[in-house]
Amino acid sequence: MTLTEKIIARAAGLPSVTPGDEVWAGVDLAAMHDSSGPRRIAPTLERLGGRLWDRSRIVLAVDHFTPPANLRHAEILATTRAWAREAGLPHFFDSVGVMHNLLLEQGLAKPGTLIVGADSHTVTAGAVGAVAVGVGATELATVLATGQIWLRVPPTVLIRFDDAMPEYLTARDLAMAVLRELRADFAIYRAVEYAGQAVDALDLDERAVLANQAVEMGAKNGIIPPSGPVLRRFDREVSATGLPVAGDPGCAHESVYTFRLSSVPPLVAAPPDVDHVMPVQEAAGLCLDRAYIGSCAGGKAKDLREAARVLRGKRVRIPLTITPATQQVVAETLRDGTLQALIEAGAVIQAPGCGACAGLHSGLLGPKERCVATVTRNYPGRMGDPTAEIYLASPLTVAASALAGRLTDPREVL
Amino acid sequence: MRPVLEGRAWVFGDHVNTDQILPGRFLDRPAEEVGRYALAGLDATFPERVAPGDVVVAGVNFGCGSSRETAVLALKQAGVSAVVARSFARIFFRNAINNGLPAVIIGDTAGIGQGDRLRLDLSARTVTNLTTGAVLPVQNLTGTSLEILRHGGIVAYTLARVGQRGGQP
Repeated sequence: MTLTEKIIARAAGLPSVTPGDEVWAGVDLAAMHDSSGPRRIAPTLERLGGRLWDRSRIVLAVDHFTPPANLRHAEILATTRAWAREAGLPHFFDSVGVMHNLLLEQGLAKPGTLIVGADSHTVTAGAVGAVAVGVGATELATVLATGQIWLRVPPTVLIRFDDAMPEYLTARDLAMAVLRELRADFAIYRAVEYAGQAVDALDLDERAVLANQAVEMGAKNGIIPPSGPVLRRFDREVSATGLPVAGDPGCAHESVYTFRLSSVPPLVAAPPDVDHVMPVQEAAGLCLDRAYIGSCAGGKAKDLREAARVLRGKRVRIPLTITPATQQVVAETLRDGTLQALIEAGAVIQAPGCGACAGLHSGLLGPKERCVATVTRNYPGRMGDPTAEIYLASPLTVAASALAGRLTDPREVL
Repeated sequence: MRPVLEGRAWVFGDHVNTDQILPGRFLDRPAEEVGRYALAGLDATFPERVAPGDVVVAGVNFGCGSSRETAVLALKQAGVSAVVARSFARIFFRNAINNGLPAVIIGDTAGIGQGDRLRLDLSARTVTNLTTGAVLPVQNLTGTSLEILRHGGIVAYTLARVGQRGGQP
């Protein structure tokens, strides 16, 4: 069995599973936020009896409508907080970061476990070697009531990056290289597993990007078998519980794709789709109105450090807005001088959250504005006006482009 | 779930995403009010022009992107009785089934024109284009997803499975 199959088999209490099987699985962790959470699930939960299956396994994060931009947002937050108080949730994170990133930095997402979240980017938690699956709010309510979910066991597609990562690439370029080659629906109903030398060398922040972008490939989950420091972090739990952390030797993947990083240039996904990927050089020189670094994919400490690598000692030509994914990212990058370098280069730092990336508040784009961003998606209207253009890129490319005011290959400034 | 549905086709392309079905700027609205914004990212006039029972037809990867369940609720509230596509993004598919909206996969949607009359027979597992006479087999909706649909959604299904008090199955 692949790692995804082993994790689902364990969660279902079965000795083995095969792709295509439908199983009922016990959930190890369920997560939701202020948009998908209490305001949407509370009425459903009542119909299901009103009891929570295990409050210690439920995570609630206020990240979408914070800081509230209007009274509707403030009411949603009030509803969320009141529900969390009433439920007595031990894992309630109020406006201190994006749910997906909190699951990773707080150690709540563990290798070998099954995580279900009411958000498509729940897949991000696959960075530690969990099977992390996004669902809608009503389905999450049934999980909160029963602790169980039905799953169809997905076939696993293996993506390999076997050579070393050049300094001008980031994990985001790797994900875009996959989307360029295989397109946005190649992994529908499938698990995407990443492996190889370049993947083993990635830290947790970078692994999070690969896992996160699996959903843009259509995948049910993205997973990276834990290795190195990521595995060592969970050593004790893994050896105590026997949670699976690797597929069986010689296990069958539905297909295997190998990418050579030496032939991947810095990439950009042009509107209107996440798989409309081209070398930055092909779109270089395009005039930009704004640059944005943030989101569960692109607002981690590593992303800010990559941006600072480009921006230190220089000055941006267009507004660069940075939304750190969590308060801990703020604290870490404050300590190591990253924030100072970014601010001195002219970047403006915002409160953590999903606002601009999800097109909700805190930095929407106006008609025909063009923005280069580390956000998750570039669909028309995603960040505001439907005529605004979003170019998805690595933090290196966004920073280099912010310096020039035009789309710029980071190799020109590194 | 009604076993036979009939309505006019509203034809869209590939990769219709949930930001188009319900743009992010409406995410802060109550779930009961989202029907008036259905498909606002593609055609703002859709909610006024769609008739109860009409069917949304699309190519591959319908409903990709965000997990927002209000994308499904918006289509339902607008009157859409089913979505027919060559493939669905999996969260949209689950959300549709969980809310009793048939999300039907057929091999080819290219022969369906805007305004064609479609008949979905979920027992016979066919989509019939009454305008052209073409009959296409339904490729999905088996096992648990069909059971959930038969119950009208996952809440009724869960109550039937585990009982009113949320006891363990």
